[in-house]
Amino acid sequence: MSIFFRMGIFLLFVAVLFTSCEEEFIPDIVEAEPDIVVEGYIEAGENANPPFVILTRSVPFFSEINTDEFNNLFVRDAIVTITEGDNEYELTEFCLDELTPEQQAQAAELFGLNPDSLEANFCVYLDFSFSLMGEVGKTYDLKIEAEGKTLTSSTTIPQHVPIDSLFLVDAPGVPNDTLRQMNAFIDDPAGAPNYYRYFSGVNDGPILPGFNSIVDDAFFDGLYFEFVLPKSEVNDPNVDIDPNTFGLYTVGDTATIKWCTVDKAHFDFWNTLEFNAANQGPFSSYTRIESNINGGLGIWGGYSVSYYTRVVD
Amino acid sequence: MYLRIWCLLSVLFFSNFLIAQETYTFSGYINDQSSGETLIGANLYNKSNPTEGTSSNIYGFFSLTLPQGEYTFVCSYLGFADKEIVVNLNQDIRQTIEMSEGVTITEIVVTAEEKDENVENTSMGTIELPVENIKTLPALMGEVDILKTLQLLPGVLSAGEGNSGFYVRGGGPDQNLVLLDEAVVYNSGHMLGFFSVFNADAIKNTTLIKGNMPAAYGGRLSSVVDVQMKDGNDKSYQVDGGIGLISSRLTIQGPIKKEQSSFILSGRRTYAFDLAQPFLDGTNFEGTNYYFYDLNAKVNYRFSDKDRLFISGYFGRDVLNYRSNERDFFFRMPYGNATTTIRWNHLFSDKLFMNVSAIYNDYDFSFGGGQADFTVDLFSGVRDYNAKIDFDFFPNPKHQIKFGANYTYHRLTPNVTSASNGTVDFTNEFEPDYAHESAIYIQDDFKVNSRLTLNFGLRASMFTQLGPYNSTLNGTRYEKGDVVKTYTGLEPRVSGKYTINPRASLKAGIAVTNQYVHLVSNSTSTLPIDVWVPSSELIKPQQGIQYAVGYFQNLMDNEYESSIELYYKDLWNQIDYRENYVNNPTTEVENDFVFGTGRSYGLELFLKKRKGRLNGWVGYTYSKTDRTFPEINNGETFPATFDRTHDLSVVANFELTPKWQLGGVFVYGTGNTFTPIKSLYFIEQNLNVEYGVRNSARLEPYHRVDLSATLTPKPDSEKRFTSSWTFSVYNTYNRRNPFFTYTTFETDANAGTAKATAYKVSLFPVIPSVTWNFKWKQK
Repeated sequence: MSIFFRMGIFLLFVAVLFTSCEEEFIPDIVEAEPDIVVEGYIEAGENANPPFVILTRSVPFFSEINTDEFNNLFVRDAIVTITEGDNEYELTEFCLDELTPEQQAQAAELFGLNPDSLEANFCVYLDFSFSLMGEVGKTYDLKIEAEGKTLTSSTTIPQHVPIDSLFLVDAPGVPNDTLRQMNAFIDDPAGAPNYYRYFSGVNDGPILPGFNSIVDDAFFDGLYFEFVLPKSEVNDPNVDIDPNTFGLYTVGDTATIKWCTVDKAHFDFWNTLEFNAANQGPFSSYTRIESNINGGLGIWGGYSVSYYTRVVD
Repeated sequence: MYLRIWCLLSVLFFSNFLIAQETYTFSGYINDQSSGETLIGANLYNKSNPTEGTSSNIYGFFSLTLPQGEYTFVCSYLGFADKEIVVNLNQDIRQTIEMSEGVTITEIVVTAEEKDENVENTSMGTIELPVENIKTLPALMGEVDILKTLQLLPGVLSAGEGNSGFYVRGGGPDQNLVLLDEAVVYNSGHMLGFFSVFNADAIKNTTLIKGNMPAAYGGRLSSVVDVQMKDGNDKSYQVDGGIGLISSRLTIQGPIKKEQSSFILSGRRTYAFDLAQPFLDGTNFEGTNYYFYDLNAKVNYRFSDKDRLFISGYFGRDVLNYRSNERDFFFRMPYGNATTTIRWNHLFSDKLFMNVSAIYNDYDFSFGGGQADFTVDLFSGVRDYNAKIDFDFFPNPKHQIKFGANYTYHRLTPNVTSASNGTVDFTNEFEPDYAHESAIYIQDDFKVNSRLTLNFGLRASMFTQLGPYNSTLNGTRYEKGDVVKTYTGLEPRVSGKYTINPRASLKAGIAVTNQYVHLVSNSTSTLPIDVWVPSSELIKPQQGIQYAVGYFQNLMDNEYESSIELYYKDLWNQIDYRENYVNNPTTEVENDFVFGTGRSYGLELFLKKRKGRLNGWVGYTYSKTDRTFPEINNGETFPATFDRTHDLSVVANFELTPKWQLGGVFVYGTGNTFTPIKSLYFIEQNLNVEYGVRNSARLEPYHRVDLSATLTPKPDSEKRFTSSWTFSVYNTYNRRNPFFTYTTFETDANAGTAKATAYKVSLFPVIPSVTWNFKWKQK
């Protein structure tokens, strides 16, 4: 909804600003200690990923960073533990350059990367014994000790609410033989709020977060509800987004939807992150991304997941 | 406590009423001879003793009570020839004084202050702006705009490039009381505020009060902009119009019954996008359009010497339609104000003037859009029903007393949203908020002696929040009409003037103000989507106190006026969005608010040349404005969004020849604040922003020069039809003033590289414009 708004305001602006002009500039650097950024997930459900935690550092505003600088952002040698009830699991650090090509391919898939053109050396903390898998209804505490700091967080994997049905309809607007739109129904449980996030992928490509991937049920609590699942767009600087095909599937593709429920803190993180990314300029002052990490930035998030595939016809 | 204050006031008011000598009252109206328009703020004084004087009120009425005797009064008004009236005051005399435009016409631009008015007037920080005096100044795209001219005065800051919004002495954009014929205008901007809703052709006079608000005004913390529409020529028919770059105007006025009743009808509409319509036909964007328009209408009728009725109305709309036919995407966004004012002036006696007003005003914003079967509709707005009664009492020359009462019934509709996916309709079920707001006031302008004048007043205000309302504090459900919460406020206002010599005076004042309805914006400028919210259980009334002192000096036989003013202001219960605010249509905005305090202080310098072929002024403001919110910036004080250290305006008018009138404006301001990026970090291989201290960085300074030239081909024409051309250049040296910044990010996760690019965007380059204005007048 806010997207509609912003667009309206933006266009109103364009009406006046046929004359506006923009130029690049280098902002002043704000001197600040880097923060440790946590990106960790624990999933429950069929085909769920094993829990993992990526630790990086925040950096002052830059114009460009190269592969070496990128690789140096990873926080190494941290002690990462996940606690559930009386069970404690310590994660092990792996970097891509320490893995066999086969393992690298697996890891790349986990991060949504392309193993063929991989140059960056991602490092991740992982339970390689695979003895820890997320379970619905359980709470997982995270503790990280690194670079003299201790970071903590906690997340719960909520009950799953599956997609009831998934189907393809004609793309809106001018009739088109090759483009289709994905719609879905869910049967939202009444009462307590539910929070949803979705990802999608095409054919063998990576599974990527959707456009406006996060939603709560405030508008459709307890309803049997139809909504659109736009196709996720690859974040590739070399590919321009085409507004005429944006979010639409091409006939013949195989679409995969990853559908998740998340808890409140996890929802708040993505909700503020997406709002923050979409709102800049004169229409909105900044929104701070709400992290659930004590002592750092980022997210420790539980997902209750289910996967669906459809051939686009 | 209240009782004691009233007793004290009563004693002060009435102690001087008993004057032994026989006194009589000279009263009446002051008019423009050619049109019959009443003149607001015209001065009338005893020629041999100028301290015995008064000025006309907003209805043009004056009353002066003096001992029996023969007097020569001087009546003066900017742009008009002084008029002397000899009166033998051996009985009460009522008379209409007709002023004619005179030789002093070259004395121009903002100011109604006459002669020593700059030093003589008790009120501080009050400026009257007759509209005729701004028409020769340069204007953006040729659209003459009273609100933008106000921004050229010290203490008044522009809300942004080309914007008609303004901030007064550190107050927020919602802290200005903008009145059109006494009706509150809740959104005074068209097109995101680039143009104000006031069509200059329909406006007679504008009064800005930036400090020491008199007790007659209330409901806002920082300032009053009181705009009066023209009454209409009651002597002959007249048509004025203009064709400009983006809009055209037409005004018709004339007598309904000569010198008894008249009307005025004025309209303005933009057409830039209408002209583009043929080019959109057959394209993806067919049906896309944007326009705005204004309609002003007023009639008045003089029943008798003692009774006069005014009915006036305003209606304005912005409409944006957008269509993208290929993707079946559309929306429609109309918004605007409507006001109606009915006023009855009645003279109980030559000393007691009454005005009763019934006022309706409405601002609404709506949005409807969607794609294929999915649609969203949204509505928000404010609707007030307002009744007020005001008395002007002129017991003797030492006192001028005003008192009255005001009641408003508010209906404030938050963002009521409904949506449909073609099969299911759903809504956020928001309900309008209702409230009573009322106030009583009394004030006295008391000439203690020939050197000292005091103006003291008291305003008592009350606000009651009504149901329907769901309390988030204790879960109580209030039904429609139930009282949820009542707030009261006592607002004393005191100011005074001490005359050092006929050319210099010292003024000081303290004013306490309360504000019960609020507009909170998450953007750097207000947008039509921002909603007005009432005080409630959660939102306490905003409160402010302002202290101001000033030194006023006229120089070189009143050719120059100068002043230095200092102010300090404390603000409480200021409102902002919390830092992790996300626009969520299902949450009432008050749950996203946080509360804090504000502070502002500043120095204002003003030097004006009043006379001569070259006239104009220089205004400079040094100020500092900050805010402290426990939940923002970790509780540390931060600069307000509109904190501007230096603000300079230079305004000049020059009569080159009788045919050519030149105008120029230079403005300079410290760059706007913004919140800098503290650091960047990766999540899901995309860059995200962690922000630093709020408003701790600044854009580059803002400056620009505007020039204008007005050509009146036949300035002395006696013909019915006359016309003129105004050529205007905005931002003459094409300064790229940064308006906002944004940043784009690119990440190639596979390669492990990333790029961040910051851009600053400037709005208006050099913009020339031309406007053709015409006037037809019945002889």
